[in-house]
Amino acid sequence: MSHTQSLNVDYNYTVVRLFALTTVLWGIVGMSVGVLIAAQLYWPALNFDTAWLTYSRLRPLHTNAVIFAFGTSALFATSYYVVQRTCQVRLFAEKLAMFTFIGWQVVIIAAAITLPQGISQSKEYAELEWPIDLLIAVVWISYAIVFFGTLVKRKTSHIYVANWFYGGFIITVAALHIVNSMVIPVSFTKSYSIYAGAVDAMVQWWYGHNAVGFLLTAGFLGMMYYFVPKQAGRPVYSYRLSVVHFWALIALYIWAGSHHLHYTALPDWTQSVGMVMSVILFVPSWGGMINGIMTLSGAWHKLKTDPILRFLIVSLSFYGMSTFEGPMMAIKSVNALSHYTDWTVGHVHSGALGWVAMVSIGALYHLIPAVFAQGRMYSVKLINTHFWLHTTGVVLYIVALWISGIMQGMMWRAVNTDGTLTYSFVQSLEASYPFYLMRFIGGCFVVTGMLVMAYNVIKTVRAKQGTLEPIAEAA
Amino acid sequence: MDFVTLHSIFTVIIFVAFIALVFWLFVLKRKPDFDQAANAIFADEQKPQQKQQQESDHE
Repeated sequence: MSHTQSLNVDYNYTVVRLFALTTVLWGIVGMSVGVLIAAQLYWPALNFDTAWLTYSRLRPLHTNAVIFAFGTSALFATSYYVVQRTCQVRLFAEKLAMFTFIGWQVVIIAAAITLPQGISQSKEYAELEWPIDLLIAVVWISYAIVFFGTLVKRKTSHIYVANWFYGGFIITVAALHIVNSMVIPVSFTKSYSIYAGAVDAMVQWWYGHNAVGFLLTAGFLGMMYYFVPKQAGRPVYSYRLSVVHFWALIALYIWAGSHHLHYTALPDWTQSVGMVMSVILFVPSWGGMINGIMTLSGAWHKLKTDPILRFLIVSLSFYGMSTFEGPMMAIKSVNALSHYTDWTVGHVHSGALGWVAMVSIGALYHLIPAVFAQGRMYSVKLINTHFWLHTTGVVLYIVALWISGIMQGMMWRAVNTDGTLTYSFVQSLEASYPFYLMRFIGGCFVVTGMLVMAYNVIKTVRAKQGTLEPIAEAA
Repeated sequence: MDFVTLHSIFTVIIFVAFIALVFWLFVLKRKPDFDQAANAIFADEQKPQQKQQQESDHE
């Protein structure tokens, strides 16, 4: 094993280490803000009548922190790691790679300062004002230069499939961000979109759903295609399927955004296209999920002993669940029930906490010992503890919001024989109330798990180099 | 050329490209090539063994 580590000297792990550690930090921050706003829905007094502590200002802070600080840092860390290992070269333009780290942290801090003040473009997942948007664009183009530069100078002839997913994610996010952030600034902290009305809404959800499709899906699938086979110690189930998976996924996702705008001022045919494309999207999504899970075929026993592998495989199960649920919710008649209810929020968290967070956490537990020259994490037991805390939290969260969401949908559409509404909005809110407590408890489980992870990571990083020996694998 | 014609042509191109991709993957290209690609992620683990062998060869 020590030979494997000595080989790693060729790679630039500094920027990987920095991004890996900040992933854990921002994960704790972002999820804690999530728990706070979940608590505010149950105990409204928790905003202390302070403007910057209100739900409306902290909610975008939560979403930006978990998606762009936690999730995207995990993507930076793993993509820089994977592209070097699979191309067998050091990163291209290492100073630029360091700039992407510093630049991205500045973006995160700027978001944390501006969002609680109410400085916002009011576009979901694209709230940050134009000066920050400009910095994001510069950092992102630098990221593309580092990533593709490394691919160009690779020593291997084949570009491994994980890099295709990472590459697709980087290019598409650049295009999405630049197009959706087209604004006319009126002051340093205020701007207006160059698009108007329904076009603005369509551009926003073309951006919004592809942020899900390319950042939260394609990027993390890149992670999956490297770390699942690597941790399982066997090649991916079908490499051919992974190629079909890539092209089918990127060809379809881009059209699905209009399902966020069912029954709005958007032309009816555009809504229908979005619906059909979303339903078809089920096929490549499940192809990818099966490809990942079947990688373990013949080695299922590894799940019993390896909590890292369990994180990765369970993340794929949540991916399968969310990508079944998503196409269903994109069907207009189902959407009429689910839209604007807690069901949507539950669906997002089954994807975000179940798929994105679990695959990232699994990848980090694999990656952190490798980049800090250790054979394993400080405590495998604590990884197992984290797994159960996280899984319990996610299940509590999703189940609470499924029940609450479907109930809300049913109550809102219930009409008396004379055509008047059966329930007032407040009645539906009262019915949801206990489930908000359940959601809050679920969130506490998840954050506790992240704190356990932080302790384990600190212990691993601070341990003397090479003192944590890998555990001999049972045959 | 109007938008509808343009989009129809685009749809057909995408469809044909996808069929071509599947044909290339499952008919033209042989499975061993893909097995090699799939195993590429383990190359950095095999290297030290080769290194050891080389070292022992020298001895």
